[in-house]
Amino acid sequence: MAILARTEAEVVAAVQWARAHKRNVEIAGARTKRHMTYSRYQGPVLDLSRLAGIVEYQPEEMILTVRPGTKVAEIEACLAEHDQQLGFDPPDWGPLLGAPASSGTIGGAVAADVCGPGAVRYGRVRDHLLGFRAVNGYGEAYKGGGKVVKNVTGFDLPKLMCGSFGRFGPLTELTLRVFPKPPRQASLAVHGLEDGEGLRLLRLIHSSPLGATGLAFARGTAWFRFDGTDAALREKLDTARALLSDHEVSDGDDAVFRDIGNGTALDAGARDVWRIHAPPAAAPRIVSALAPARWVADWAGALLWLATDEADAEAMRAAVAREGGRMNLMRAMGKAYLHVRRLHPSPPELAALEKAVKAAFDPLGLFGSMGF
Amino acid sequence: MLMPETDASIVARRDDIVARLKALVPDGVVSDRAGLKAFDGDALTAYRQSPLVCVLPRTKEEVAAVLKFASEEGVPIVPRGAGTSLSGGALPLADAILIGLSRMNRILDIDLENRAVTVEPGVTNLAITRAVEGKGFYYAPDPSSQIACTIGGNIAENSGGLHCLKYGLTTNNLLSATLVTITGETVRLDSGGGYDLLGVVAGSEGLLGVVVEAVVRILPLPPVTRTLMAAFSSVPDAGRCVAEVIAGGIVPAAMEFMDRRCIEAVEAYCAPGYPKGAEGVLIIDADGIKSEVDEAIARIATIARGCGAEVREAVDEAERARIWAGRKSAFPAMGRLAPDMLCMDGTIPRRMLPRVLARMAEMADEYGLGFCNVFHAGDGNLHPLIIFDVMKEGELERAEAFGADILRLCVEVGGVLTGEHGVGVEKRDLMPEMFSDADLAQQQRLKCAFDAAGLLNPGKVFPTLSACVEQGHMHVKGGRVPYPNLPRF
Repeated sequence: MAILARTEAEVVAAVQWARAHKRNVEIAGARTKRHMTYSRYQGPVLDLSRLAGIVEYQPEEMILTVRPGTKVAEIEACLAEHDQQLGFDPPDWGPLLGAPASSGTIGGAVAADVCGPGAVRYGRVRDHLLGFRAVNGYGEAYKGGGKVVKNVTGFDLPKLMCGSFGRFGPLTELTLRVFPKPPRQASLAVHGLEDGEGLRLLRLIHSSPLGATGLAFARGTAWFRFDGTDAALREKLDTARALLSDHEVSDGDDAVFRDIGNGTALDAGARDVWRIHAPPAAAPRIVSALAPARWVADWAGALLWLATDEADAEAMRAAVAREGGRMNLMRAMGKAYLHVRRLHPSPPELAALEKAVKAAFDPLGLFGSMGF
Repeated sequence: MLMPETDASIVARRDDIVARLKALVPDGVVSDRAGLKAFDGDALTAYRQSPLVCVLPRTKEEVAAVLKFASEEGVPIVPRGAGTSLSGGALPLADAILIGLSRMNRILDIDLENRAVTVEPGVTNLAITRAVEGKGFYYAPDPSSQIACTIGGNIAENSGGLHCLKYGLTTNNLLSATLVTITGETVRLDSGGGYDLLGVVAGSEGLLGVVVEAVVRILPLPPVTRTLMAAFSSVPDAGRCVAEVIAGGIVPAAMEFMDRRCIEAVEAYCAPGYPKGAEGVLIIDADGIKSEVDEAIARIATIARGCGAEVREAVDEAERARIWAGRKSAFPAMGRLAPDMLCMDGTIPRRMLPRVLARMAEMADEYGLGFCNVFHAGDGNLHPLIIFDVMKEGELERAEAFGADILRLCVEVGGVLTGEHGVGVEKRDLMPEMFSDADLAQQQRLKCAFDAAGLLNPGKVFPTLSACVEQGHMHVKGGRVPYPNLPRF
């Protein structure tokens, strides 16, 4: 069963219905990320794909307000007409998750924290969502944050919505900051590297003032991406080549960064896919401890993509936690599908706090994506 | 000023509370009247209140013990960093323990490989940069009070600064924080997946817990910084220049505006050499690699001249420092013109600058009060400074009413009440201007999730008292109790 909501009022009505009938609802946009969760209980779907469209876009303010069902691709096309773009470099996880390409919605991108290689420079989704409207588990429409770039009025609820997977309720409107599109970008590559050295080179460039917009390592090659005007780009590439002069540096391939963000560079086959957030210098130790079938480092090593054959999730997560990281299961193919929690479990005190925060928005547990 | 009604039963137990705190923090309890005088407020100077007692822990274990004690005994807690809040965030209460974090001032770890510095909450903002600049790094958020304000306070207020246009607020430069909850539990928060509690603790104004340790991100120092000063013969021209720079896709490191009155005050205060006779100046920094900075400066200068400005560039590092010292002195410089001052903090959409500036000038005439405009133009964050004399009959009330009208105007044009100073007590009663009952109720439910008994920093941020009900879920009680005698500001 699906409830197709076209307006915020209809979302309110749907939640009030769910509340009255104590029914768990599955919040969905284009359903491209369904594979990140699982559902034993086939509850009704609250479909937000028609709650779509750009509400307000003032290019000179660099602020965009949209409804959650708007396709990310449509937003990008609209921004591009004004030489602007979303700052968090949203990738397309559709194909990795068995969904059609270019079909994901902005609501889904925010709820699942979908950000790409450029986030190393311009920040994650949390750094871009300025405000929102949503419906909570009481069936009340409310707003959080604001529509200006600098705001500390009240609690920063927008942060909480990013990566929440809809567990605080359906979002009905999103206000994002946008960025000027750089005139040009270019990348460099160093091939034939040992893991430790490749990861070190990412951190080396990350610690330089070049403002790289991509710092990734995959199968022996370190990739570096920069943007700017012709003159700026030339200076950045020259400086980077000088910093990397112990190695042979070749021209890179911008398309590589698209594949890295989309997760397809991992070449995971039918394996489980994980994403690890950890301090970048821990990456070599994590990779050697976990010995995954395949892995790719992004964000100078602060984000690791792993593909594993059936492996002991608890042991892997314990090893990652010892390095100060978290290991989240992004796509479960085998036994993990039913048996492994998608997000790295929090320690007991934090878990208790998280539960209380969830209850503050959704006391009846109406919005309970399974698998978390 | 009326804060929540003082609980006489807590005040009556004061001797016992002092004795119990001395057992928990043997060398860190201030309880004598003279000693407490030093802790009776923050930089919102119009309001003063001596705390019940002040405790100055040195370790996170001591913080946890104090909060656990307060929770068990039902005694409110007011956290304090350096006491530089401009919104009264650290204003004490007569029946609350003031917990000062200033003695927890050690830098615990400098991790250049991960571009991260681990600090205790009492470390000052500037101390982080001082500790890493020799290695080519710095901590980006730079509130004007950075020589004094602490990182714990910065996290509580989500502080910005002159350069947050390009580098973000505290929350965008925070990698993790260790929080002690009101029940004395210690939790480490990060944003590696799961709920982003780190994001919501930043800017929570001491209402959710006490940060006892933080890991902040440091950035490589930009190799080149150039500074332009553009002098305008009309304020709207300056506003137009700001809008054109932003719309042109240029992201300056900082873009600050000062009006004539402010320029004159600053010149009299520290003589930074600002252009004479201008109605307004913009101070603009571009930083980064050389070619990028050169291009940005050239484009900005062209735009500014197109808007009628006389443009001058700082010739050397000494002049740059002088120009910025002048900007950072705007607050004390204006403070010399009158005994009292209110510093407002609304943010507006940048295209609204000319309209809002014009309306504010009209309002100043209507209220018959002196004021000047100094603001972070790049992100539309206004800091009108209203000067007055609290000893003159009715001036405080007029100043507060003027300030409130400015903030209402900000909300009316699509902006917000506070861009970086926080709500505190100062803007508490204006919250309904921006948020509906449902909006505020949801924020208060979040507060209840962290602090069901409402012991952390009561009387701040929210205009109405509410009770958290425990029955399986929490909600804000219908029968709200407004503070009856509160001034509307």
